[in-house]
Amino acid sequence: MTVDEGRLSETFAALANPTRRAILARLAGGAATVNELAEPFGITLPAISKHIKVLEQAGLVRRGQRAQYRPCALDAARLEEVSTWAEQYRPIWEARFDRMDEYLRQLRPQRKTGQR
Amino acid sequence: MTDNGSQDAVIIERSFDAPVDLIWQMWTDPEHFAAWYGPDGAAIPVAQMDVRVGGTRLVCMEMQTPNGVMQMWFTGQYREVVENVRLVYTESMSDENGTVRSAADMGMPEGHPTTTEVRVELEHVGGSTKMVMTHVGIADNSPGAAGWAMALDKLAAYVNAQSDR
Repeated sequence: MTVDEGRLSETFAALANPTRRAILARLAGGAATVNELAEPFGITLPAISKHIKVLEQAGLVRRGQRAQYRPCALDAARLEEVSTWAEQYRPIWEARFDRMDEYLRQLRPQRKTGQR
Repeated sequence: MTDNGSQDAVIIERSFDAPVDLIWQMWTDPEHFAAWYGPDGAAIPVAQMDVRVGGTRLVCMEMQTPNGVMQMWFTGQYREVVENVRLVYTESMSDENGTVRSAADMGMPEGHPTTTEVRVELEHVGGSTKMVMTHVGIADNSPGAAGWAMALDKLAAYVNAQSDR
């Protein structure tokens, strides 16, 4: 597991929860405060804050700096990265084939005479 | 985001300055496989490969983390084995006994396929070998997968709207 894979797992773990996905879908319509987010879900403020913290740590949500409201906004960059599992695998495979190439180079002196 | 419009597959074409049979061994000989498959800093202590149609594979990736050694196990079955030409196998996360663990169990969202398929096609071109690797998800039609896809569609639309501005 590379660093990227670890980060990916974190993001996916954050996205794996239906309430958190709903929060993101709500934020897709524009920034909102914690109070505004809590309302439609009928859950307590501490509970919604916990979800938001998970999303924030996963890099999916940014929070404003204004102490009173600290509105939440969607961080699109990370979503773009994780939009498909396949796109996440591409750099992993590219790195593997770079290593394969390097390994083949190391083997080369040994197989000089054995080539078909 | 992808160059071929298909978001459910990784397709990579590479050319290696090596004979076809050696590239075949990179995928089918545990010793060669272990030399390149794991990420830097990871070891492949187990690579069991019964390379024939229906044969199983079991691969362990081991890496050092701040919390100690972490092992990840992967299992699968060979679906097509045409020596030096075409290799197709499935892959799922598993335990050390090769019992498949679902993507959801592993903390992946429901829409992440539990089983994926890796296809390797080799072709001798001049003095080198052309390799096309295709990694595709095998769809599972769980209701969760649909919810996940819908949520992502909405978010993707938002992301696109942002980048169009």
